[in-house]
Amino acid sequence: MVSDNAAEKALNLIRSRLCNPNFIFRPLCDSPDSNYSKLKFIVSSSVTEACNNSVLLLGPRGSGKVAVLDLVLEDLLLEYPDMINLIRLNGLLHSDDNSAVKEIARQLCVEHQLLFSKMASFDDNSEFMIAMLRECGLAHKTIVFVLDEFDLFTQGKQRLLYALLDAMQSVTSQAVVIGVSCRLDADQLLEKRVKSRFSHRKLLFLPPSEEDIYRLLDHVLSLPVDSSLPHDYAIEFNAKLHSMFSDERFRQVINSYMNFSPTVRHLVKFLFRAASDMDLKLGYLSFENFKSAISSLQRQPKMECLRDCSILELYILVCMKRLEVKEQNSYSFSAVMKEYKSIHDSFQTSDYYSQDVCLRAFEHVLQRGLVCFADGRGRIQSTEFRPVKLLISFAEISQGLKAHHLCPAFLQKLAS
Amino acid sequence: MGEDEVLSVTRRTTRSSSATAISTKNDVVERIKSTHICSPSLNDLLYGGEPIDLDVLLSNFPGRHPQIRELLQILGPSNTPMLPIFVYGGPSTGKTSIILQLFRYLNRPFVYSSCRTCYSPRILFESVLNQLSHHRKNATNGYSSVKRCEKPSDFVNFLREALVSMVNRLKENVGKSKSSKKRERSIDGHMVYLIFDKLELVRDWDKSSSILPLLFNLDSILNIPEVGLIFISSTPPDTFYSSMGYIEPVPIYFPNYSEDDLRQILVRNQAYPKLYSSFLDAVLRPFCRITRRLDELSAVFSSLFLEYCKPLNDLAVVPNEDLKRRLFSNLQPHISLFLNETFRVLSQSSSGAERTKGRELRGSKRKIGTHDESDELDFHMSTSAKYLLISAFLASRNPATLDASLFDSRGGSDSRKRRRKPSETAKGQKEAEEEELLTKGPGSFPLERLLAIFQCITSVAEDYLGEEVQVEDSLEVEGQDGPLMSDVLLQLSSLCNANFIVKGGTCPLEGSTRYRSVVTEDLALKVAKSVKFPLAKYVYRR
Repeated sequence: MVSDNAAEKALNLIRSRLCNPNFIFRPLCDSPDSNYSKLKFIVSSSVTEACNNSVLLLGPRGSGKVAVLDLVLEDLLLEYPDMINLIRLNGLLHSDDNSAVKEIARQLCVEHQLLFSKMASFDDNSEFMIAMLRECGLAHKTIVFVLDEFDLFTQGKQRLLYALLDAMQSVTSQAVVIGVSCRLDADQLLEKRVKSRFSHRKLLFLPPSEEDIYRLLDHVLSLPVDSSLPHDYAIEFNAKLHSMFSDERFRQVINSYMNFSPTVRHLVKFLFRAASDMDLKLGYLSFENFKSAISSLQRQPKMECLRDCSILELYILVCMKRLEVKEQNSYSFSAVMKEYKSIHDSFQTSDYYSQDVCLRAFEHVLQRGLVCFADGRGRIQSTEFRPVKLLISFAEISQGLKAHHLCPAFLQKLAS
Repeated sequence: MGEDEVLSVTRRTTRSSSATAISTKNDVVERIKSTHICSPSLNDLLYGGEPIDLDVLLSNFPGRHPQIRELLQILGPSNTPMLPIFVYGGPSTGKTSIILQLFRYLNRPFVYSSCRTCYSPRILFESVLNQLSHHRKNATNGYSSVKRCEKPSDFVNFLREALVSMVNRLKENVGKSKSSKKRERSIDGHMVYLIFDKLELVRDWDKSSSILPLLFNLDSILNIPEVGLIFISSTPPDTFYSSMGYIEPVPIYFPNYSEDDLRQILVRNQAYPKLYSSFLDAVLRPFCRITRRLDELSAVFSSLFLEYCKPLNDLAVVPNEDLKRRLFSNLQPHISLFLNETFRVLSQSSSGAERTKGRELRGSKRKIGTHDESDELDFHMSTSAKYLLISAFLASRNPATLDASLFDSRGGSDSRKRRRKPSETAKGQKEAEEEELLTKGPGSFPLERLLAIFQCITSVAEDYLGEEVQVEDSLEVEGQDGPLMSDVLLQLSSLCNANFIVKGGTCPLEGSTRYRSVVTEDLALKVAKSVKFPLAKYVYRR
């Protein structure tokens, strides 16, 4: 058995690796046709040859666009110290032109130890930006603009994008604009005047291949043998890990997970869950850790909600389902209540409660998100009369009724 | 310029900031600030009170052991970074209290803000920043926040600044406490956790489409490994759909308590556990069929238990089979009564805390009215207000086209209606209309119609009981428009305030305000009875 201390250290190491995207994406960068090399070539050529450039990084969320960009910039900052000036914007924060230009001015001021004025207008700030671009171009300093969530910058008049890309057209400036977006049609969102100034370079980030996945797993999970960790422990840990990788069951688990959520960040989430499940007494990662992680990540929220419902709440859902089967396109709580009454009248159920009790149960179902109002919000009308609809499929209802341990058989019959 | 800004801050924020001041006070987080008023310290971000150990924590939350273990695993040993997590589960399943108690056990600093008390982005941002910079709103700083911060971009800048300095201080602190071991309560590690509670409410905010992605992406925007993010919501993650998409946080699910768990929880802290568990034998199952929410159940049971204990002189007895049977037969009639009245009890006890919306206040009021056993109304209304309420009810229920025949001065409405024999197609039409009424609810009406009906029924009423409505008499029949109008309008506005009548949107064609009566038929009948008005004759039945 291993001492707790070593196991805890190993767990800490793995967890901090998983929370550090730069570490994760490092092994995917070495091949010459990787996005890393292409991006590095684009940015470094603009640094060394004093030209302007623009590029879009596209790919689904969590495919490592920003992480790869960070790696490139980190390396270039080491390679060319004092020649790169980095400006970072995020579409979530600076999507309107005013605040974006302000933020650019602020970051430029911080970089060049200038005094930033909060009161400066849009014009002042954009003039300042153009002037700085020229000055930096003369000093052979490249400004790299990183626009995260690029699609959000295209919402308004695109004045910022126009100003930036227009400045790229002059010979005096030396800058790179890098847009990062999870919308693959991001360049189609640009206005004509902006589009014509964009270089149309796009880098596409694809989900990792199976080979890449296992390289990544090995890179992230295996312990270094030459560190403060006990040597024997690290070797044994790695051996167990590798024997698990070659296990067919393990491969199946990984495959089934990656079929659902193919990006690297999803994989990281999965590994994080599995690693934090590690038994510190045992000290090694086991197959069970991964298996329990997959069940805790792939959840079915609707089924869970149904399992939490009381019998009366199930009754209400079944009544609504029956109304929808009757093809009533619009119905309200009072119609549901009528259906509930008619069920009671024809079958003499034991679960018959007053309208107020049912209304409260209905409100619970509403809170859980199993049903919702069909009209827009803000209408002044009481709950009973607003049209409602189910947010859950008929199949899910009957499946949920079957899984519910208290559900009377009679109710299942009603729902089918 | 700097001074100007400070002044403007104090002027503008007084109202909203006082709300957050209350929020930090009345939330579960009772900080130990009272002892540290003069010198703010890092310990302010710990959970107040004595630290507890794991066994106490587990025994405090029966039925929640797997969840606590799971959370502990994900939070991990001290100084380990974590991915953001999303804790969800129905109301009153112990999400918030378990997280807070966990931090009490772990002795790690955290910032808690609930989106119910911080009801707008700005208040949420400022609450987080205030807590991080140990800022307390009080009279000396004019109840202003430490930073004025409305835009997400400012928030992220300030937050990063505050977090970095906080983490640095925590790291120093760790070094110090290692050298001098005598501190009785030291902070564990250099991680800071941000907890956002009641996240489901953010969906209803005006700016929810920009705030939710911001919160979910905060982890990657900040990119500080020493910060952990915890979201707590009562709705599952799939209800937070956004067109932008985000990497979902690690989900942790709190299921509803099972019946056994409920029993365990309810028996805890009871003075007479034996008696109470025999009481639960009788009532828990039927009530669980209606609701499995702990807060509702405990509210009902507290009053039902009093009924149960009534025949007993000594509550400390250990009930045997015979006694149990006797008590049960005693309780039997009450159970069915309470089953159908569960929510009346609740709406009174929890109306202060949970209800903020007028709709629900109105609901509870209506329930109080309708649930009364006697025909007496339990609130006072002036006679003219009663008539106004009745006429509003009529105007809402009856189609406007029928007014003329119903309120005909010759009173021949009844005979005329009966003369026509309904054909088959007309019957079908009627059914369709009935369905429509069910889905549409009470209709709306303009003020003029209300006043016309009001005038009609008051004049009719005086035929029935001439002497009783002297006041109306003198006002109505003479037709003095001035005093009548002002008085009725006053009554109308007070009825609106009491939520018996709601003001609807303006009619697009006429441009005048439309009203809608929301009282139930029971209540309207009761009101009519109290003024001896034959309401049933006037309600249009299909």
